[in-house]
Amino acid sequence: MKILFFTGKGGVGKSTLAAATAWQLSKKHRVLIVSLDPAHNLGDIFGVKVRGEMRFSETLYVQEVDLKKLSQDYLKREIKVLSDSYKYLQVLNLDTYFSVLKYSPGIEEYALLTSIEKTIRAESGFEYIIFDTPPTGLTMRFLALPQVTVTWIDRLAQIRQKILEKSYTIQNIMGPQSEGETLLSYDEKDDDILGKLVSLKSNYQSLNKILQGSICSIVLVFNPDMLSLKESMRLIEGLKELHLPLRLLLHNKICLDNLETADRVEKELSKVTSAQLERIMFRPEFQSNEDSALYYIKEDLTKYF
Amino acid sequence: MKFSIFDFLRTICTTIDKTHRSNVCALTVTEVEELQNVFALLLLGSFIGLPSPPSFLAVELLPYMQKELEILNERAQDANDKMAEMFGTLGIG
Repeated sequence: MKILFFTGKGGVGKSTLAAATAWQLSKKHRVLIVSLDPAHNLGDIFGVKVRGEMRFSETLYVQEVDLKKLSQDYLKREIKVLSDSYKYLQVLNLDTYFSVLKYSPGIEEYALLTSIEKTIRAESGFEYIIFDTPPTGLTMRFLALPQVTVTWIDRLAQIRQKILEKSYTIQNIMGPQSEGETLLSYDEKDDDILGKLVSLKSNYQSLNKILQGSICSIVLVFNPDMLSLKESMRLIEGLKELHLPLRLLLHNKICLDNLETADRVEKELSKVTSAQLERIMFRPEFQSNEDSALYYIKEDLTKYF
Repeated sequence: MKFSIFDFLRTICTTIDKTHRSNVCALTVTEVEELQNVFALLLLGSFIGLPSPPSFLAVELLPYMQKELEILNERAQDANDKMAEMFGTLGIG
């Protein structure tokens, strides 16, 4: 299985090129294309209505992720665990106040990452999974999430281990205080918090390994303009910091009028990355909008993956 | 119940033993409570404006944090009397 992420500034043509790649790949392989952008337009590109997941052709499946619903589902699950743990609050009807958690920042990125993880681990028999990502900011945040989280988990687990070690010492000196009292143990499995931290860490490490591994490719889409160049440079820097594999640059919307700028943009980008580059020419058919833009991409995008 | 001198002596020995043991542990107990307090503060630091981990991490661990939250609350209430507690633990005065 191979995983492709199409990233770039808003409006550069990520969705169109992701759809075109999926379409071309689907002629030889089983492909799933997933839109993670809250403003979905895969349905418009394929000219179909996608509600959740749909089968576009024998080998091509299209999926649009409902980010809001995903965040809500995740929070509902967590709020239920909280309400179950603090059952006494139900007596005072205070458990409903946990619902305020839905306003906590960062939940959207987490929901997004969970959705990617679920799709990757589903083992649904797809040879290619293509993710059409939201604009740069949110994409970088959720791609960085596994690494940021692992760093935090490490620090928290260290403190937790120290707490357990010391509690164990106390217990050894004092002995059981009263009948029926359980001994505190320095076994990671007996401490719920450390257990949770350890399981979260192994989960994020394996996800990180997948994202940094050879099966994952990040495709950067950009246009021949300075704004797009600046944002692409930032994205490349960010990907480097996270050790994520940028494999292909797609220079989209090139025409005779902007050839000079296109050369300049490519020259600048070649200074910061050695990833392969493909030019996608702008064609008048795109504007006529007679049919889905999907079929007008003549360049072979499959040869890179 | 019949009074037994052996039982009486045993009780005295057990009490002395317990007192010594708890004296030995007092500092470590305080240390553990402080560590639990620090753990809760780090995890839920956004409440008081500290940089905090990704909020979902706090959400994931919150159901298991009852004791830490109690200590956090206790520490906040006793904050003014920290010196007295330290002196008590170290047996000064």
